[in-house]
Parts: sequence; structure tokens; C-alpha cells
Amino acid sequence: MPENIEGSPGSSMHGVTGRESVMAFSVASPTVHTDPTAKFDLPVDSEHKATKFKLFSFANPHMRTFHLSWISFFTTFISTFAAAPLVPIIRDNLNLTKSDIGNAGVASVSGSIFSRLVMGAVCDLLGPRYGCAFLLMLSAPTVFCMSFVSDASGYIAVRFMIGFSLATFVSCQYWMSTMFNSKIIGLVNGTAAGWGNMGGGATQLLMPVLFEIIKKAGATSFIAWRIAFFIPGWFNVIMGVFVLTLGQDLPDGNLGALQKKGDVAKDKFSKVLWYAVTNYRTWIFVLLYGYSMGVELTIDNVIAEYFYDRFDLKLHLAGIIAACFGMANLLARPFGGFTSDYMATRFGMRGRLWNLWLLQTAGGLCCLCLGLVNSLPLAITFMMLFSIGAQAACGATFGIIPFISRRSLGIISGMTGAGGNFGSGLTQLVFFANASFSTEKGLTYMGIMIMLVTIPVSFVHFPQWGSMFLPPSQDVVKGSEEHYYVSEWTEEEKQKGMHQASLKFAENSRSERGGKVASAPTPPQNTPNHV
Amino acid sequence: MRSFLLEVSLILFFLLKTTNGDVLFSSLPRSLFVVASLVEGRVLKAGEDDISVTFGSNQTVTNQADESYKKVKVKLCYAPVSQIDRKWRKTNDNLKKDKTCQFTIYDKPYERIVEEFKWKIEKDIPTATYFVRSYVYNDANEEIAYGQTTNNKKSDNLFKIQGISGRHMSMDIASVCFSAFALLSLVGFFVIEKRQAKVKG
Repeated sequence: MPENIEGSPGSSMHGVTGRESVMAFSVASPTVHTDPTAKFDLPVDSEHKATKFKLFSFANPHMRTFHLSWISFFTTFISTFAAAPLVPIIRDNLNLTKSDIGNAGVASVSGSIFSRLVMGAVCDLLGPRYGCAFLLMLSAPTVFCMSFVSDASGYIAVRFMIGFSLATFVSCQYWMSTMFNSKIIGLVNGTAAGWGNMGGGATQLLMPVLFEIIKKAGATSFIAWRIAFFIPGWFNVIMGVFVLTLGQDLPDGNLGALQKKGDVAKDKFSKVLWYAVTNYRTWIFVLLYGYSMGVELTIDNVIAEYFYDRFDLKLHLAGIIAACFGMANLLARPFGGFTSDYMATRFGMRGRLWNLWLLQTAGGLCCLCLGLVNSLPLAITFMMLFSIGAQAACGATFGIIPFISRRSLGIISGMTGAGGNFGSGLTQLVFFANASFSTEKGLTYMGIMIMLVTIPVSFVHFPQWGSMFLPPSQDVVKGSEEHYYVSEWTEEEKQKGMHQASLKFAENSRSERGGKVASAPTPPQNTPNHV
Repeated sequence: MRSFLLEVSLILFFLLKTTNGDVLFSSLPRSLFVVASLVEGRVLKAGEDDISVTFGSNQTVTNQADESYKKVKVKLCYAPVSQIDRKWRKTNDNLKKDKTCQFTIYDKPYERIVEEFKWKIEKDIPTATYFVRSYVYNDANEEIAYGQTTNNKKSDNLFKIQGISGRHMSMDIASVCFSAFALLSLVGFFVIEKRQAKVKG
């Protein structure tokens, strides 16, 4: 049985809990620091990962992890975009120019390009619980630092530092994958990511309201906005404490204790990176995500100021409208994942690709229109349609990514996530930090850019499933799922049996052929370590 | 269908409003004189200093009957140097869209005498270079005349205001304390858990 081969990546954490009976290759002394209860609130598989998703439960450990995880991600979104709705006040206090504001927006999303890439390794070393808590607690001081800012360079620096905390995306997804079975991991991760992203919308509502309340309490504008920043800072600290006290890394306990008892040997990082980087599909999706998630982050930064200036709205009203954009994530992102799955049942992978192209292009078209219209109701309409298109495209993207590679899924997810931030930074730099474009022109050009950048989806071709326009390969060997997924392993590795999990995955992925092809039932041990 | 009709009717409504005829600044006569007395070259501090403004009707220029002058407002306006790279302060000839003068410092019914007032610079005035302008309004609340402290090019007689920093010692201290708490609690948890694992392991 492949799972019993020591060091086999993707194999279960068999033996790690220390509560199994002693084997021939027995591990060191049994752990004492594990959850004493064998019973879980939800049905679990052999790794104690939940196979059902009970949304309104807070039961330890699975659903509690879900809620801790998405709320942490939500909190970092609040902190990262907290400045955006208050820019009309901040720009007067700090004497900012349009370039300063644009550059700060770029800075706010750039930090996490790096931190998201590093976060995977941090979760491997310290566990997702500490990874998440570290991010929350270390970024809290950066949020509090806003009270010291007195000019453009300070403002840009602080927004850059706060932006590092967006790497909670990675800890969130990683943590979900330790707690939930692969059959439902798509839905769980999509929901967690979407709800986390809502923070970008919630903050547009929250910060102006806090600002108004503090002003009413007697503070003058230029002091009130700084005081308002203490609230997101405190959210960070509170969530950090919750994660540390209530969270646990794995269904059976915490990583630190469990790691001592025979860790699962990981795959070689250099190999995993190689297979991620040399797969052209990875790069297409890195680019694409930059213009679905990336534009969402960009809009989080510019839209409140846009409505305030262009339509002469009051600050809190501009904030409410801006909030609607981000809050649409509640349903829009899961919707994108759902349509992806639905199209797959009818048309297989081709359906998923067309679904992504349609959603993202429609979003781009609405963004173009948003920049062109002069009336407030039309602007709001196009903004909402744009938000649904872009956010559903995010969900649809992660409906396809698990199929690009089985071995390098973690890194590809991380690279895609980083690509989202990179796209956002680039877009803000080119279209919104420039004094020569008005914001409405910037929006129009961004819409055109989205539509152009989505065209490469048509180049994504899977030999076993085809692409948007091309049919699958007719070759019996090359056109099989097994060939695609096992080609990531060398002969040597195959001899060690390291490719067994990929084989299993290949078998299950036959459902991507579409039509009424039934996939083989997922064997319970077939769960990847990282999503 | 319903939302489409709603949109169309909203569009028509907005179109109607804009075809009413907006007041253009270039059409206004400069029938008022405005003088702001302040020490030349000194930077004024928001929250501390005052501006004394004297204004009245400029008899040699006016060719409009005074009867239509109902209300006068005096505003603090951004000089061109403070508008560079800041589209939210842009000058637009259409006064409905003009963002040059964002602070009203005096708002009273028009009187035929030369008026004088002192205005304390409020704490929410940002750091920038300014001039003072007054508008006269008719019954329909439309601008019909103006006056300003500077010349047509807005290059003369400008003054600087230094806004408050917005920072406060108590905020700085609170910030440091909360940050320290966050860091210490993280390190504390980490150390305690590692120790517990060692003890039990």
C-alpha cells in the first residue's frame, strides 16, 4: 500500500497522531499533547479530516478552524484597505498628490507578493495556526503606526508594511486543507477565500462610520482618522489571540507536538518548484488572476475616492457604495466556483475554461462601461456587474488550478495568489498613480486590459481534455489523465512509488472529460497535504 | 425590464437637470473688491491664527443693479500651486463642478456697506497656498458676481496656511503600548507552548 511507504509525499499523516498501534517501522514515543476526544462533531475520513461542511457550527476542530481562518483573512483585508475610504481626508492631512495616493495603493498590495510566497514554507515549519497568528500579531503594530504618519513617504511605507498581512490567504487555504477532505476542499476554500475578500468591502463601510463617530465625539478630522485606525489594529490583536487560544493545526492536535513523532517527509522543494515553473499553464493563470483578483484589490483601493470625487457624494455614502463591491464576494466567488463545477459536469474542462473566459471578459466589459458613464445609478449598476464578473472569475480560476498539477499544487496556488497582487500593483501603477489619466479613464483602460489579458485562457490546453477550441489528443497514451499527472515524476521517483497519489488523482479527474463520465470514487486516504 | 425602465427614466431625469444652464465663472463680473490683511510672507497656522477680510462692492466696475445681490459668501480657495497633481481641487469654469474654493468662511445676506470680519483658521484646513474669493448670489442661489484678493492669473497676494499635523502625544503612546502588547503576547504564547511541549515530551 503506497501510504505505508515512508516518505511518500501526499500520503496520509498515518502514525503522526501516535494513537495507532505500534508498527514495524514504529515511530518514537507516543504523543501526549493531542486531543483526547476520538469523537468529532462532523463525519471524518481516516486522517480525521471532515467530509462534511456544517456552516453554522463552531465545533472544534474543523468548523472552528474554518471560522478562525476566514475571519483572520477578513481582518487582514480590513486592515490593508482601511485607508482607502479615508483617502479624501488623509490626502489633505498629509498633503498627498495623486501620484502619492496611487503609489500607496501599489505599495499596499506589493508586500504580500513576497509574503504569500514565503507563507507556504512558514506553514510547513510552524503550522498554519502559528503562521496565521504571527501574521496577525506582527502586522498589528504596523496598523497602529498610522498614528505616526506625517507625510507621503511615511504613508506609503506603512501601507506597504500592513499589506504583508494579506498572506493570511495562504495560511487560510493551508489550514483548510489540513481539516477538510479533498472532496469538499474546493467549496470550503472558495467560501473561506470569498468571505475573507469581503473584508475589502466591509472596511469601506466600517472606516467612514468610525471616522464620523469619532468626529462627533469631538475630534477634528485630521486626528479622527488616525484614531479610527486603532480599531482595525485591535481586530488584528483580538483575532491573533483567538487563533492562538482556540485554534489547532490538525484535527488531532498541534503541529509542534505531533512533529516530534515522525513527520511526513516532504517532497523536494526544488522539484516541486521546477514542475510548477516549467508548466506554461501556471504562468497563464498567474497573469489571469492578476486581472481578476488583481483588479478587485485595485478597485478596493480606488473606488470610494472615485465616487466621492466624481459624483460629489459624502464620505460615508461613497463608502457604502464602495463596500457593495467587496461584499458581493459573499456570493459571487462561490458562484464562480459553482458555475465552474456545473460546466464541468456538462462539458468537462472545456466548460470550465469557457466559463472562466466568459465571466472575466464580462467583468472587463462592465469595468470599461463603469469608466464611461456619467450618472450615478449607471455607475453603481456597472460596478456591481463588474464585481460579480471579477469575483466569480476568481472562484472559477481556483476551480481549474487543482488540475494543472498534482505534485506542485501548493506552489502553483501560491504563485497564482502572488500574481493577483502583482497584477494589482502593476495596474495601479500604470493606470491610477499617473497624474495624466483621470480615474475614469483609468477604469476604462483597466477594463480593456482585463479583456485582452483573458484571451490567453484559450491557449490553456490539456492533452487529455483539450482546450477552449481544440479537442483532446487522440493518442491513447498521451491523451490519458495518468500520463499527464505521472509525467511530473521521474523514473526513479516512480520506482519508489512516490507517484501513487498522482495516479489516484488522475483516476478521479476523469470527470473533467464532461458528459456523463462517472469518476471513480475517491478512496479515503487520497488527500493532499497542502492544497 | 423594470430595472431597465428605471434606469432610462433616471438617465432622462439627470439629463434634464444639466440642461438647465449652469453658471460659468468666466461670465461673472468682478464687481467686488476683497482684501485679506495678513503679514506678507508669514505662514499662518491652522487653529491658531486669524484672517481679517474686508470686502465690498467695487463701484467703478459694477454694471449690474445691486437689487439682484441677495447673499454674499466668502470662500477660501486653493492657489494653482496647490492644485497641481490634485484633481480633487481642480478649477472648472462651470461653477457647479468647480472645486477651487472648498471652504466657506462667511455666509450672510448682502449689504451695501463695506464689510469686515475676522475668521479663525479652523483645524481641518489643510496645508496649502490660498487666496480669498467672494461670490454674490441672487434669489435663485446662483452666482452673479465675484471678487478676490488675487489677480486673474491667481499669482499675486497668495498666502500659506500650515495645517495641524493630526498627531498627538497620547495617540503615539497608545500606539506603542498596543504594539508592545501584541508582540509580547505572541512571543509569550510561543514560549509557553514550547515549554509545555518540552515538559510533556
